[in-house]
Amino acid sequence: MDLFRLADADAVLPRVKAGDPVAQEALYRAFEVPVYNLARRICRTTEDAEDVLQETFFEVYRSIGRFRGDGSLWGWVRTIASSKALMRLRRNKYRETDELQDDITPLRREDTALRMDLETALERLSQTSRAVVWLHDVEGYTHEEIAGMMDKTVSFSKSQLARAHTRLRRWLGEEVPA
Amino acid sequence: MTHLTMEQLLAVREPGLEPGVAGWRDHASACDLCRAELDRLDQRVARLRALPALQPSRNRFAEIRTATSASRRRKRWVAFSAGGFAVAASLTLAVVLTRTPELSGGSAQQVAEQQELDSIIARSRSLEGAIQDYNPDQRVTDGRTAVVAASLEDRLARVDDQLQMVNMMDQSVRREAALRLWRERVGLLNALVDVHVTRARAVGF
Repeated sequence: MDLFRLADADAVLPRVKAGDPVAQEALYRAFEVPVYNLARRICRTTEDAEDVLQETFFEVYRSIGRFRGDGSLWGWVRTIASSKALMRLRRNKYRETDELQDDITPLRREDTALRMDLETALERLSQTSRAVVWLHDVEGYTHEEIAGMMDKTVSFSKSQLARAHTRLRRWLGEEVPA
Repeated sequence: MTHLTMEQLLAVREPGLEPGVAGWRDHASACDLCRAELDRLDQRVARLRALPALQPSRNRFAEIRTATSASRRRKRWVAFSAGGFAVAASLTLAVVLTRTPELSGGSAQQVAEQQELDSIIARSRSLEGAIQDYNPDQRVTDGRTAVVAASLEDRLARVDDQLQMVNMMDQSVRREAALRLWRERVGLLNALVDVHVTRARAVGF
């Protein structure tokens, strides 16, 4: 995260609230990459991630008057972005069949033999598992917060994270024989 | 004790102390295999955090600005509907009906036009209700839908501006203009319902 840009974003906040388009663009520049990165890590396609980016800033400009400054501006923007990305994920839930297949298909030979890089392994997780991994391990949300955002239970969030790490460990060739 | 499961290893990394976690922590500190597994887990999370940030392929700010402006316009025409709608409609009707001298007699055509105007205004109100119930501002919308909706809302705002000017028009064209504008308004609202509500139903919302 670019700290200078974050400072810029806080500095332009009063003008963004007043609807100043120059300030709105400065805010966009400050958060464009972290919002897109979060969206892209959760969504399957670049198109979905770019739509989430657009919807997030649309919501930010629409609701900025309600931001009281209790927490950080980035924390507030990030919550909006996470929520939009998860809404997109729910909308595309038919794609989750890949996870079911992963569960019922016997372990393929290449799963154990092939050692993937982390990007590929992360991309290979189901959308739900990847979203939980990213929100918990990278963005720092708690299981309680993730459960609330996904409208699921805390146990669901925990088990998704455990399954995801079990798979990542296997795909990354990190398994150690007992 | 058997080695820790992935769920137990993850629980050990969590702040706080849930029931059972203390025992798992003790095990992890005493068991070489589980400690090594915990280290690998820490390293994996560190590598996840160190992944390069992905960047959008193009600047979306212009589209966001367009969508934000469209939302302001929507608020304007919704306000027109909520507050000024009844007034505007009655004014249009009153002007059309009372300032047209021959209307006091009420020719069959004029009565039919009045009924059509009543019907169009009621239809307009019903379509607006459908859009407001759907509440587009709270929905996920893809970029293309947002642009089409913005274009329709632009045109709707222009029709509303013209509707407010009907009373200042020459008496001979007032009724025809009012009918034409209300018809256009209903056509645009129909298109907006298609864009928002019908599409939403098609994708399962």
